[in-house]
Amino acid sequence: MSNNPATQASFMQRHQFLIRRLHSLTGILPIGVFLAIHLVTNSSLAWGWFALKGRGQAEGLSIAEGGVQYFAHEVTWINTQVPHLFLTEVTLWLAIAFHCILGVYYATGGKGNLVHYKHQDNFRYTLQRLSGYFGIFFIFYHIATLRWGWTFLIPNGTKWSHDFSASTLAAALQGSTEGWTAAGVVVSLFYLVGVSLLVFHFANGIWTAAITWGLTVSEHAQRRWGYVCAGFGVSMMLAAWSALGSAMLLDYDTAQAVEASMHEPYSEQPHIEAQNESAEINNAITLQTDTQDPDG
Amino acid sequence: MGAAQASIIGSDQRKANREVAVVGRSVIFKIKRCDGPGKPWRWESFKVPTEPGSNVISSLNWIAANPITANGKTTTPVVWDSSCLEEVCGACTMVINGRVRQSCSCLIDEYAPREGDEITLEPMEKFPVIRDLWVDRTRMFNALERVKAWVPIDGTYNLGPGPKESHDHQQMRYALSECMTCGCCVDACPQFSKQDDEKNWESSFIGPQAISQARLFNEHDTGKRLKDERMDTLTGPGGIQDCGNSQNCVKVCPKGIPLTESIAAIGRSATVHAIKNFFTGK
Repeated sequence: MSNNPATQASFMQRHQFLIRRLHSLTGILPIGVFLAIHLVTNSSLAWGWFALKGRGQAEGLSIAEGGVQYFAHEVTWINTQVPHLFLTEVTLWLAIAFHCILGVYYATGGKGNLVHYKHQDNFRYTLQRLSGYFGIFFIFYHIATLRWGWTFLIPNGTKWSHDFSASTLAAALQGSTEGWTAAGVVVSLFYLVGVSLLVFHFANGIWTAAITWGLTVSEHAQRRWGYVCAGFGVSMMLAAWSALGSAMLLDYDTAQAVEASMHEPYSEQPHIEAQNESAEINNAITLQTDTQDPDG
Repeated sequence: MGAAQASIIGSDQRKANREVAVVGRSVIFKIKRCDGPGKPWRWESFKVPTEPGSNVISSLNWIAANPITANGKTTTPVVWDSSCLEEVCGACTMVINGRVRQSCSCLIDEYAPREGDEITLEPMEKFPVIRDLWVDRTRMFNALERVKAWVPIDGTYNLGPGPKESHDHQQMRYALSECMTCGCCVDACPQFSKQDDEKNWESSFIGPQAISQARLFNEHDTGKRLKDERMDTLTGPGGIQDCGNSQNCVKVCPKGIPLTESIAAIGRSATVHAIKNFFTGK
């Protein structure tokens, strides 16, 4: 009796449970874990100087300069030391695409009723879906501009560069290499809203995932886990805001100077290959300074 | 019951309203009406005199005896469903001032304490309307069949005495057993969609009520013989995975049943069931 419609059901319906659980899983691994690492790395723009001071390397550096140095070092480390970086990235993009497409598919299946049922949980239910929709646009813009180099989407078109990670980020957020522009304000606000919503999405997502997988069963357990998720969300929010705030306050030229000085040690390395590489980097530096900073 | 019960419409506000309720006032009932399945709906207002302790059902009785709208137009009596009149059968469930609840226990003094105050009545939005405020809740009973919400004791031989149960476990199951299939939880659930066509019942979200009843019988020592079959249904199309954790169900449940705990518990069973099935299932 009940078997007949089930066999006729679509692939999505027959495997709904598994796909839905994979949707939940991808939100945490790899996407959520990546988000946490990403935000902590970026927030080093704010706390990098203190880390350098701890190692006794902050001599003569301002807090902003120290942040740039630490952050640039982190970026270099990721791009040179993380094994199979491209594979990692593609895995991440595929996971995000899966999570986004399935998320929209599921979210459009529900019909929000926050107007009549004004409860905190229902508010989060609604915001979880809205933040998901917004996050798709934000992540696309973020990756397209700062990773794929679609400079036509960046005000004044400063291309983000691994070698000048902090300064070009500041230029992308502020809207130019010479300080704030109106378009920069729009981009920065978009970032602030986008990243805040995504942090909420992740923190609330791990709260609901614990129910979905049956980890937190009792009401008390759900509340306790809620406090943990809220605490985690607040920490991630602080990391996100400090990273954004530091990049917004960063002076382009100051950051460029720190970053340029960091590439110098390469030229002192004895290997021929390294010298070739450093020559390329030095060329890149001169090109960059030539085209973007005629005074330098 | 406590927290879940108290949060239904703000008990403090309702208590305050009860204390200031004007004796001998008339209130307006704005009712969403529909003459039958597939027919268009309309609003009609009625001015109804109140008496201390009158409720929505007694007011609907008055309207049935005096089917004249507030504008003086004679109309058909408003149709509704009810039975026990003491909030244990679930038949009179409707949407009152935008929130789903039983109308028999809905006191006018708590909702409309002053002369001319308005109360809005609508049929539940997730079920097919038969007429006016009367809806067809068959889908929920169908869901109970789908999750085999019973203890299997029929057979050819005597099964002997029933299993012993600890006091705590019995208390936990007692709370779940209070479900009266009223429909509040599914009506307030943003994931539960209205399906007029019976064919779609098995593929759209089954709702908190059936999930909680599946847990009630999974937790019974004899009832758990059907656990795998229940979990097959609840991990199939429209199963537990469609829950979106808005947790409205537990807020509107008139019996204070811990529906979100049931959902999480069934979620845990579903995780185990799916893994077990992956490695040992057909």
